[in-house]
Amino acid sequence: MTTEARIKSRELRNARAAAERRRKKRTRLVAAGGGLIIVGLLVAIVISLINAAGNDSSPAAQGGKAPAIATAGGALALGSTAAPVRLEVYLDYMCPYCGRFEQANSRELDKMVADGTVRLELYPLSFLDQASSGAKYSTRAANAVATVADRAPDKVLAFNAALFANQPEEGSRGLSDDEIATLARHAGVSADVVDAFTDRSFEPWITTSTQAVFNTGISGTPTVKINGKVFEGDLSTAGALTAAVTAAKGQ
Amino acid sequence: MATVLHRVHVFRHSNAWIFGTMLLSACLSLTASFVLSIDAVRLAADPGADLSCNINSVVSCGAVGSSWQAHLLGFPNAFLGLVAEPVVITIAAASLGRVRFPRWFMFAAQVIYTLGLIFAYWLLSQSMYVIGALCPWCLLVTVSTTLVWSTLTHVNVRDGNLFLPRRVQKALARAIDADLDAIAVTIWILIMILVVVLKYGWTLFG
Repeated sequence: MTTEARIKSRELRNARAAAERRRKKRTRLVAAGGGLIIVGLLVAIVISLINAAGNDSSPAAQGGKAPAIATAGGALALGSTAAPVRLEVYLDYMCPYCGRFEQANSRELDKMVADGTVRLELYPLSFLDQASSGAKYSTRAANAVATVADRAPDKVLAFNAALFANQPEEGSRGLSDDEIATLARHAGVSADVVDAFTDRSFEPWITTSTQAVFNTGISGTPTVKINGKVFEGDLSTAGALTAAVTAAKGQ
Repeated sequence: MATVLHRVHVFRHSNAWIFGTMLLSACLSLTASFVLSIDAVRLAADPGADLSCNINSVVSCGAVGSSWQAHLLGFPNAFLGLVAEPVVITIAAASLGRVRFPRWFMFAAQVIYTLGLIFAYWLLSQSMYVIGALCPWCLLVTVSTTLVWSTLTHVNVRDGNLFLPRRVQKALARAIDADLDAIAVTIWILIMILVVVLKYGWTLFG
């Protein structure tokens, strides 16, 4: 081998080794960068978990103004206080099964409230806010109903029925504030009461009572209680609830 | 310390680890698909199988199961998992028993599973951002699909099954040898956790 060829092959070897070293360095840099990203992500996860845990406790502490006809337990009480049967209905305006319950039973219920058989306690809850793509439909609808209950309690049942008759699909953004206002007006609620919806005065009360209700062991909607006992019968066919109420009245 | 790291490195590239992880993930995915399929069948028989909205589940009222996205091909998506995961389980178990599949076979598996992975992520994004509900079983399917895909890719790059141009194959093999794929998968899964926590964190503590 000539000297020249030997020098050339050595140069080639050196160049290869240098390239290899550079590549190794680059790999190590990428790995270190990846490690940093992993640490950053872990920190971000921990921080958002702490935030989430912290946010949960704050609304319960607020309390807020309650509607005039509200009970201490967080219900809107309708009908005669002397009625022999106390019927509690736990609902969320976004809950499709509550819509079915309403469709099946509202006419009978209206009648039994009107004739003094039933004292109806409505619990409008807001836990399905998570299912309205951030638009908080449950809270907005419940606040509107609470506003009507506060200032025009005789229109609550009609407005409640209208909200369920026009119930938005679960997971959608729900009805807009304007659409809710229109429904209320058509249900006979006066304009000054409708205008008060956007004050959102009862939203803290809704949050507090939703929490209070779940603390009593209610785990879903619709839940119906007759004189304090959970009604286990068919909620989506007309008749079953009426029969149970009639039986409770006789006792 | 260095020898321990070296041993971990060698183990991570061994068939036992790769196919073991693949087997476990595929079994998890199959279980989740099975649960989702049963739900889908029950839901189809009676659209109101569970007639209430539960406060404790993030999927409150069965919204995910009855959406059109859940039946993209005309039948419940979970059936795809019932069909595909046993194949993955077979590949993983056979490979653990030292069977070597032909190149074209592993290549086909990679292509089909990649389509499955894209589908799984599309579904997850739909359920999170369009339907607005999160289903824990669907999340398990997505995570285990990711793990199966990454182990499948790992082994296919290691064994050169992908018919890639030489430069690309060499670069990928080097990256895997440097364990960059493990870092990438970790980042990927952590990002998923972060997104879920950010979007649903408050309900997890409800």
